[in-house]
This record gives sequence, C-alpha cells and structure tokens, in this order.
Amino acid sequence: MAVKHIKGNEVEGAASATDKLSLIDFSAAWCGPCKMLTPVLEKVSDDLDEKVSFYHLDVDESPDASSKFGIRGVPTMIVFHNGEEIDRMVGFRDRNALQIQLENLADSKLV
Amino acid sequence: MDLKTGLVGSGSSVSRELDLVIAGGGPAALAAALYAARYDIDHIVLESYQPGGQAALTAVIENYPGIKSITGGDIVAAMKEQAESWGAVFEMASVLSAEPLKDMIQIKADSSTYMTRNLIIATGAAPAKLGVPGEDKYYGRGVSYCATCDAPFFRNARVLVVGGGDSAVKEALHLSEFVSELVLIHRRDKFRAEPYLAKKLLSCGNCTVLWNTTLKEIKGDESVESAVLNTPEGEKEMKFDGVFMYVGRKPATEPFANLVELNDNGTVRTHNIVHTSRENVFAAGDVTDNDLRQIVTAVSDGARAASAVFDKLQ
Repeated sequence: MAVKHIKGNEVEGAASATDKLSLIDFSAAWCGPCKMLTPVLEKVSDDLDEKVSFYHLDVDESPDASSKFGIRGVPTMIVFHNGEEIDRMVGFRDRNALQIQLENLADSKLV
Repeated sequence: MDLKTGLVGSGSSVSRELDLVIAGGGPAALAAALYAARYDIDHIVLESYQPGGQAALTAVIENYPGIKSITGGDIVAAMKEQAESWGAVFEMASVLSAEPLKDMIQIKADSSTYMTRNLIIATGAAPAKLGVPGEDKYYGRGVSYCATCDAPFFRNARVLVVGGGDSAVKEALHLSEFVSELVLIHRRDKFRAEPYLAKKLLSCGNCTVLWNTTLKEIKGDESVESAVLNTPEGEKEMKFDGVFMYVGRKPATEPFANLVELNDNGTVRTHNIVHTSRENVFAAGDVTDNDLRQIVTAVSDGARAASAVFDKLQ
C-alpha cells in the first residue's frame, strides 16, 4: 500500500480509524531526512498494510495542522488510533526500527 | 548454493554470497560503492543507516574541493546517482548483526542474510545526546539536532545552540538567518571550529557567544520555554523557544561489536586508515577513529577501502 498525501483538513478523518492505526508523516520538501524517510515509509507501508494506514502531510502546504499538533521539527511521525495520538517519532527511523515500533503499537491497540 | 542465483537456503532466510557488502549510506559508503562498481566487484550497499548520512543534514558545504557551495542533500544525491550510473547496487536494509563464519562474514539484515568475503563498515554516526533533564521530553518540541531540518520552525524565535565544533558553528550560522536571537554556549573559552566559521559567527548581528558555559536543564510546558545554564557567574535561567545540540557523535557500530575491535567511544579501531582488527573488514568515514571527520576524508576512506578489497580479491 502506498503512502497517501493529505492536507490539514483531512487529518481528523485519517486519524479517526479504529480498525487500523494511522501514521501521519509531517514533513517538508526542503528537509533531507524527510527525503530519506520516504522510501522507508513506502516499504513499511507494504509490510504493514493490514495494520497501519500511512499518510504524508506537507508542513508548508498545511501550516495550521502543523501548528495544531505542535510540530517543531521534521520529519515528525504521529501515530493515531480512534482519533487519539498514541505515539510520536521525531527524525529519521530505519525500516527495522519503524516496523518494530509500529508492530508493538498495533499489538497493544488492535484487537 | 544455487549457482545461477547465488542464493543459499530458501524463504525469508535466504542468503546471498557476495565479494563485498558495504554497510552505510553516507559519503564514505557512496564513494566505496562507486569504486566497487568501477572495479566490477560483486557487491551490495545496505544503506538503511541514515541514507546520505550526517552530510545530508548539513545546510551548506563550502569545503569540498571543486565545489564552491552546495547543500548536503544535493552532494549526497549526486554521489549516489554517480555510483548507480556505474552499476552500484543499493538496498534499503539495516544490518542487525555481523559474525565471522569460516573465512566469510555472515551479515543478517532485516531484509535478508548475506555471506560476504569482505565488509566495509561505513555506517557513520548519529548526533550524541547531552543527557540533560528535558532533552528527551522536548525532542521534536523545541529540542533539535538538525538546524537544516528545523530552522524554519523557529522564525523570529530565540534559540540556544550548544557546542563549539564545526557542526555547532555552521548550523548556528544557518539558524541565525531565521531566528531573532541566537545564543551559543561552549564549555571552553575558544572554538574548535575552523577559524573562518568562528569569525563569521562572532560577527553575526543576532548571535551571542557565552564561553565556559554548559547546559544544565531544559524547561518548558508543551514545548521548550527556557534553559538553565551553568555560567562562570553562576547558574542562570534564560528564555528560549528552541535548543539545538551539537555535542559530538555516537558511532553506529553496535552490530559489529563481535566482529572487529572497537575503541571505548564506540568507533572502529583502525590502522593504515581503513584496516581493522579483521583482515577482511574495512572501515570508512565517521565510524572510524580517524581524527578528521569531513566529507572529503569520508570519500577518501571509502575509495581506499574499496581499493583494498579489490587488491585482496586479485
């Protein structure tokens, strides 16, 4: 499954899923680590298709959403379940680290 | 082993036999990949350790010979493109462990297992933490290790920079273009940074340098609001919206601890620049104990390491 691009007004809908976790990647075009993270997210989204939905939000395109979620650095990945923030990861994560983190969260939140 | 595919075993634990694995994705690994490809060495680059490395996090690079000024992201992208044009093979994978097995090295990555005759460790280093109260709590909420990534979030803000080396001063100069006021603290009474950068910072209009000063604590509510400093005049709490840390680097050598000798600080112990305690393992770039850690030295290490592998395979 690919990473879906969303805008600020779509965050609430994306975050409210109950059957899966939602990961929103707040990033920017000018940020090196964000570019490095893109292929990692694509890979992990394939591996965890049944457990996590992946979204990408450009902080310059949606400054209000970035401000609302207190983003002070990119990339910041926020994981939601049922509208609630359950985890926040700042900076680059490699594929293995990200996958383990998300699987642990999915095991604890999804029945 | 299947002679057609070079694969050993089956399913997710498939092993591939190679002449060289290059672990890392920064300039040292990219240079090693370019040389390995040109030498026609059967290789793979496992680049999940921070693709682009520390270099990709650098705003402006002005000391790479032949290039007057370039962003870190652009130079590593150009290096990768060049290596790929010569046939370098990259895989987005992390090395989980590396163990000697007879005269080969078994490398377990999250994607696959590799049996290789030679290994180049070029996994680089990540920013070190200072370990002060508030540092972890406010990471991503005002605490940052990357001005290139986060400076635009601190427009017209007041920020603290901790450190006195090239990275601290270079990143402070980048930050000063966004913030209203920048305070840099350094635990010594002079910079380790190159004089050109130091002079530039000392003449920066919105920058102040506090010598012999250390960070004790970062305070705030939802995000950073202040920092407690130990100054020569005593403890002082100052208001800040952000704190940027440049207090050294932690080498990414954990998977290789059972393979080669490491120094107390975690760097790979080297001799003759890229040789390690094991004959078929080489190290390049920031992961080594070589004293100068620059892009120009990293690419030199990478080229030397690939050349040493080529010589060994003859």
